[in-house]
Amino acid sequence: MTRRTQRQLLFWTALFAFLAWDFSVSAPIDLRQEPPLIAAGSGQASVGGHCSMAD
Amino acid sequence: MKRLPLSVALAAFFVFLSLSVSIRQAVLLLVGVGMGAALAGARFGFTTGWRQLVEQRNPQGVAGQVLLLALASALALPLLGQFPELHAALGAPSISLLVGAFVFGLTMQIADGCGSGTLYKAGLGVPLNMGLLPLFALGSFLGSVHLDSWMALGHVAPVSLATPWGSGGALAITLALLAAVLLLVRWWVGAGQTWWSRRWVWGAVALAILATLNLVLAGQPWGVVYGFGLWAAKGAVALGAFDPTVNAFWSQEGNALRLTQTAFMDVTSITNIGILGGALLVAAGQGDDSRALTRQQWVIGLVAGFVMGYSSRLALGCNVGAMLSGISTGSLHGWLWVPLAFGGTLIGLRVRRRFGF
Repeated sequence: MTRRTQRQLLFWTALFAFLAWDFSVSAPIDLRQEPPLIAAGSGQASVGGHCSMAD
Repeated sequence: MKRLPLSVALAAFFVFLSLSVSIRQAVLLLVGVGMGAALAGARFGFTTGWRQLVEQRNPQGVAGQVLLLALASALALPLLGQFPELHAALGAPSISLLVGAFVFGLTMQIADGCGSGTLYKAGLGVPLNMGLLPLFALGSFLGSVHLDSWMALGHVAPVSLATPWGSGGALAITLALLAAVLLLVRWWVGAGQTWWSRRWVWGAVALAILATLNLVLAGQPWGVVYGFGLWAAKGAVALGAFDPTVNAFWSQEGNALRLTQTAFMDVTSITNIGILGGALLVAAGQGDDSRALTRQQWVIGLVAGFVMGYSSRLALGCNVGAMLSGISTGSLHGWLWVPLAFGGTLIGLRVRRRFGF
């Protein structure tokens, strides 16, 4: 195993652990409120966060 | 690492998202994987392109970026005019933006990667970029915590070029300004330069298509740094180190809601994970060409990564969220971001040379 592979394994393990922890402690997902696949033309405005927003 | 097991892992994650989160988030993961593969495969580094222009009078990287901006604008602006559900990346012209963009441009040269560059290089396994990613996230979080104080220094409402001139007029102005950028570059590099290289061109075309897919599917333009700040905010809240209810940014309804939801429901988080995965796919089977850094270079690089994350929030985005998404969706703040960040880059290149990066 190369040093780069070791570094990548460490990095991905840490990321996976964070995401698994976050998924386990976050509010359950209501699949019946699933957004449409394509926002354009759906009539539902996007409510996601974006870095251009100041609030 | 081998490509086959990585592809299987990404496919399994796609299925998990489809069944447990939403089909939209699963497809956005694939869009992110494509972005990561395009960024890493074409080595489409915004930071590198600017550096090559200044130090070598090589216009290829900046020409590729101008092509990306032109294509993305030509695709996004008509869509925004057609579909009211879609949001532009409108940032407020402000003191915060001016300071943040300058500092971001400075630190991205030291850290050798902007928001997307840090992501794809981390995915490729470059040690400094892997190391500074958590610090970038922490800086991005702290920047969002302080953002209201920075905005209080002075700001005006976001300006959309499409409001007075419509989508067609905004596109015409955007393309004219991009042509002016190319004229400035031509003046700087002089005659006899090769302007177009294959990797920058295919990278620009691929990223323009993927950024448009992001807009059509998610309803919002491509962004990077919001997701990082969200991850660090979740960690800070879990540790009891941060109370979001007393902070202007994180008590806002949408941000507060996202703190309680899984990151898998956040658009920028999913595309960020996809970018990391796409870059890892490209890196599979490649040799390790990263060079060792001294202890001093590590310290300076990590500090630069933290400051870059902080300034990316003050600047209302990085090269992706402010420059690409801002300009391509007709936001004035993208055009204010570019000269300030380029001014910072001129200082950052000197710092970079001073410490032997």
